Amino acid sequence: MTEPIGAGHLLTDSDLRSVDSLGPVEVLVGVCALNQSRSVVRVVEAAAGGLAAPLADRKSGIVVVEAGFQDDTLDAVKSWLTKRIPAVPVSCVRIAGPPSRSRAILGALAVAHRLGPAACALVDAGLLSLTPEGLGRLVRPILAGEADCVGPTYTHTAAEGTLTTNLLAPMCGALYGRRIQQLLGGCAALSGQVATRLLETDVWESDLIGHGLEIGLVIDAIVSGHRIAEVHQGRKILDAGVASPDLATTIAHTVGPFFRLMDRYRSFWSESGASAPVARIGDPPTVVPETGEIRLDRMVRAFNMGLKDLLPVWEQALQEETLASLYPLGLLSPDEFVFPAEHWARVVFDFAVAYHAQRLPRDHLLRALTPLYLGRVAAFLRETHAGARAGIPTVLEGIARAFEAEKAGLAARWR
Amino acid sequence: MGDAWSDVLVASFRGVVQRLGDVAPRLLAMVAVIALGWAVAAIARRLTVRIFRMVDLDARCARWGLTASLSRSGIGQSPSQVIGQLVFWTIFFVALLTSVEALEMPATAGLAAGVVRFLPNLVVAALVWMVGLLLANFMAQAVLIAAVNAQVALAPLIAGAVRWLVLVFAGAAALTQLGIAREMVLLTFGIAFGGTVLALALAFGLGGKDLAREILESRFRKPDGDDDRLTHV
Repeated sequence: MTEPIGAGHLLTDSDLRSVDSLGPVEVLVGVCALNQSRSVVRVVEAAAGGLAAPLADRKSGIVVVEAGFQDDTLDAVKSWLTKRIPAVPVSCVRIAGPPSRSRAILGALAVAHRLGPAACALVDAGLLSLTPEGLGRLVRPILAGEADCVGPTYTHTAAEGTLTTNLLAPMCGALYGRRIQQLLGGCAALSGQVATRLLETDVWESDLIGHGLEIGLVIDAIVSGHRIAEVHQGRKILDAGVASPDLATTIAHTVGPFFRLMDRYRSFWSESGASAPVARIGDPPTVVPETGEIRLDRMVRAFNMGLKDLLPVWEQALQEETLASLYPLGLLSPDEFVFPAEHWARVVFDFAVAYHAQRLPRDHLLRALTPLYLGRVAAFLRETHAGARAGIPTVLEGIARAFEAEKAGLAARWR
Repeated sequence: MGDAWSDVLVASFRGVVQRLGDVAPRLLAMVAVIALGWAVAAIARRLTVRIFRMVDLDARCARWGLTASLSRSGIGQSPSQVIGQLVFWTIFFVALLTSVEALEMPATAGLAAGVVRFLPNLVVAALVWMVGLLLANFMAQAVLIAAVNAQVALAPLIAGAVRWLVLVFAGAAALTQLGIAREMVLLTFGIAFGGTVLALALAFGLGGKDLAREILESRFRKPDGDDDRLTHV
């Protein structure tokens, strides 16, 4: 164990005084922002409402942590604070260093370590769907001692969160043995002990790019054997802010950290067994068919273009038989396009091995996954569209099984 | 008459033997230097290959795209073997020059020193070329992936153009370092580079309006309504 990263390392003296003014709290809500002035006030309002009503019996505070390059986010909150005085104290701090969502989360964790709350909720400043009741549902299991780490589940359409449903969640289940619906749910609640433990590891510095810390937080909780629960939060509405990245960057910032964590937790995943669901509180999450028209032809065109032009790159990442299984897909029209989950799982695991072996510059490798991912999304949306023969749960179960089957030979390839 | 004839023959023979006696040690020295140079070069090659394999150079070069470039150029050896060969031939070449100096012939006087003085330029030029090659591969790959992700037609062509642009630049810099027709290289490069940029600008602006619009639209235009429903995380 190393010395935890303290707030003193990340905050200025005036910000530290501002944080200390919150005093000892039982519940701390860290609103983590990355240039999100557009939405931050609504999220702070919802958090304040949650702490004032469903959690009124607990002494609490809110800290807004901005890790972006603009002052607008904190200015918006300060301006709101001058107009109305919330029932709970609010502190605004800025984290120095390169703009990064993970850095904002690290800052919130450091503040939690300083104030020593029993429960710490981390909320994305763009999570417009957060409600006071939702925050209460998130934090209560921690305060009741029923869980150490609580994440959200959402009701969403098949077209929402496709990177999660087709890659992050099934791969997490296959590798770490826990079926978690949302690795990037936009909010989570941790016990004070878990929050401090996360800061005690010295490896987070490498995870501060993109969504590294959010993903690492969930996986570390699984690997450490903490009690994990999921709470239904209705529909997810997230405003990514002005720094909304393109798809290739999103993949690099989510799949990259996930692959990197596979190195750290190799001993765990190489011995883990079949996946099991985590404890669920409230309504079960549902994935509903996408009823609107989404143009799949663009995604299929992106896949075909990748198959034509990115072959030299894919040849370095994929095994021969994996690549051979992709060629016939290039002959299919958008109306009949399929990308079986088994092939997709093999592609993802091949990319993970190539990432581990550093066969290509890692950023190039991750970005080269984009056309393949779009191909898989097109096939997934065809499989799950309203009126499709197989139900969405069956399709999701098929993806999970494909990833678990593909994991079998992974350890041997991970040299 | 017979005595005079034999005297001439004996004197000639003595002269040849004497000259051979003078040259023989130099020849022996030359052979010894070549043999020693070959032995040292072979040992250095083996050591170099071993060291570069220990630091995993071959895997790294494969990652950087250098191995693929070597393969495209018809070099089937691994980068560590190529460097080993370079070390071997450099040492052996210096040994050969030194051995020629050992003959003490007026025509070759100072040859080795001159070549050795030029070696640093050669090494720097080789390094410049090597870095240029790496950069060209890296940038071409980055451009190719970005262009395909933006669904730009002719992505390999654009990536190839970037690769050659960087290679030409690196080649010009290497030749300048070697001092080979410096003014001509600078002038040629300036004209070729400027001309290429102008040609590309004209081609892109006049002939490739649609392509330019396609690239800019895919990069900056907000997605259509149906794409708004698609979220990834």
